[in-house]
Amino acid sequence: MAMSIEELKEKIMEKALKGPKTQLYVKDFYACDPEAKPRAVKNAANDLVKEGKMVFWSSGSTTMYAAKERAQKEQE
Amino acid sequence: MPKHETPLMDELEKGPWPSFVSDLKRQAEKNPQCWDIVGQMELSFKDRMTHWKHGGIVGVFGYGGGIVGRYSDVPQQFPGVAHFHTVRLNQPSSKFYRTDILRKLCDLWERRGSGMTNFHGSTGDLILLGTRTEELEPLFYELTHDLEWDLGGSGSNLRTPACCIGKARCEWSCYDTQATCYGMTMKYQDEIHRPAFPYKFKFKFSGCANDCVAAIARSDLSAIGTWRDNIRINQDEVKKYITGDNVANGGGIPGKGEKFDIQKEVIDLCPTGCMWMEGDTLKIDDAECTRCMHCLNVMPKALRPGVDQGASIMMGAKAPILDGAQLGTLIVPFIKMDPDNEFEELVDVIEKCWDYWMEHGKNRERLGETIQRVGLPTFLRVMELEPIPQHVKEPRSNPYVFWREEEVEGGWQRDVKEFRAKHAQ
Ligand code: HEM
Ligand code: HEM
Ligand code: SF4
Ligand code: SF4
Repeated sequence: MAMSIEELKEKIMEKALKGPKTQLYVKDFYACDPEAKPRAVKNAANDLVKEGKMVFWSSGSTTMYAAKERAQKEQE
Repeated sequence: MPKHETPLMDELEKGPWPSFVSDLKRQAEKNPQCWDIVGQMELSFKDRMTHWKHGGIVGVFGYGGGIVGRYSDVPQQFPGVAHFHTVRLNQPSSKFYRTDILRKLCDLWERRGSGMTNFHGSTGDLILLGTRTEELEPLFYELTHDLEWDLGGSGSNLRTPACCIGKARCEWSCYDTQATCYGMTMKYQDEIHRPAFPYKFKFKFSGCANDCVAAIARSDLSAIGTWRDNIRINQDEVKKYITGDNVANGGGIPGKGEKFDIQKEVIDLCPTGCMWMEGDTLKIDDAECTRCMHCLNVMPKALRPGVDQGASIMMGAKAPILDGAQLGTLIVPFIKMDPDNEFEELVDVIEKCWDYWMEHGKNRERLGETIQRVGLPTFLRVMELEPIPQHVKEPRSNPYVFWREEEVEGGWQRDVKEFRAKHAQ
């Protein structure tokens, strides 16, 4: 059974805040719920952006996700 | 911002052709910020390296694409380009614009940005070149509310789909490329605006194999119009080409003072050698025809695509980033492109491919590289397609399609003694 969206979002935030890397590919979140479809994971990560907890980091050709507070601290 | 001494850039104004340096200078008279573009480029030429830094957390709220962050690494010297973000706008299908909208757009961009544009970037989008971070939200608000115009794709998103002029003006279009492009753009809004994939993904739609948007070279998934039945031949018009009463290839052939030679210009150039004359009647072996469009281009009044029309789907084209450049590989030989069923067959192909690539594609790996890594036979199984001869580029070098044990009667086990009884060693 895949976990609920809220549980998945919590796991994603945890990884983004405490994991070794600040910037993460959407694929890096797949492991948060191995049962979930890639699209469900992407939607959960995008929800977190809408809620203002995550931000997108883009080079122009690739886009990554980062926890907002952590990314802003690093950009300074 | 003052004008800079730019002897190297000035070189690019010489010669008879249009010069982007002249354009930049003209714009700088209105918007002095543009002097700093010219100045920074001059410095890059001198230093032989770029002075742009790219990337960052720029964009408009909720969108993970459409704006590409650019900063100068020498902002003290060139404050006008300290921030110089690029904005991608989703161009209308086939790039049909209304002039009133273009005027409004230019006015808006002179207020909120550098005033420099690029019609169009190699992505296909309309590109607005250069603005500051604090201008992005107000610009986006005005674009969407006053002009009803949306951003295009960038980053690991579905990129802005593009199409040829299609049925709007072209008699060769085998499906409605504009309806398809618009349909897919609307259906996959979320994928365009928010990163969903291991890397970028592009759709391009051409109505025939002339491929006016170069889909086969530039898109991860290209739909190229084709037909399943026979080329329609009008023998009377063929004869008029032979006598010179019809102008061949829009006047491109033959050269001045020469007579049109159907054998030399059409039959001998058919890549599959499937055309011949019987008396003054043109014959085509349609089973061998590869729908390359050559003969139709030369004699448009005489030859037309068949009536059972649709598209071939190629996948995996890309420019050289990790690996070399690659053209698209034929995956689905023919599907119908039907707006009445919301392009059901196309959507099915797209989503099967995405489901696999999103799960198995590596970060920053284009679909074409994934296909190369796993092999075409594996990818065809993912797409639930039977291999056909057209999937094989050339025997013995690319790619072998093997039987699997379950596809062979009796599997891999056989009775060697019984075999040898019939086949001497
Ligand atoms: C002057 C000497 C030779 C000439 C001119 C020659 C020429 C050729 C040519 C034209 C081919 C076909 C290549 C293709 O399919 O495009 C071929 C294939 C082949 N030759 Fe030779 N060959 C020569 C000597 C040899 C020798 C001495 C051997 C083995 C000891 C050999 C083994 C093969 C094999 C196994 C193939 C098939 C390769 C494949 O299946 O891809 N050849 N050769
Ligand atoms: C360690 C030694 C060898 C390796 C690694 C090797 C590898 C290969 C490979 C990878 C192919 C292509 C097979 C395919 O794509 O289906 C091939 C084909 C071939 N090899 Fe070898 N080979 C070796 C030794 C030999 C020797 C010693 C001979 C002959 C004396 C030989 C004769 C051939 C022939 C005739 C073919 C072509 C078969 C065909 O076209 O159907 N190989 N080999
Ligand atoms: S790709 Fe074919 S159908 Fe489309 S505009 Fe070009 S010639 Fe016409
Ligand atoms: S379309 Fe191309 S392959 Fe087909 S008959 Fe004409 S020239 Fe030959």
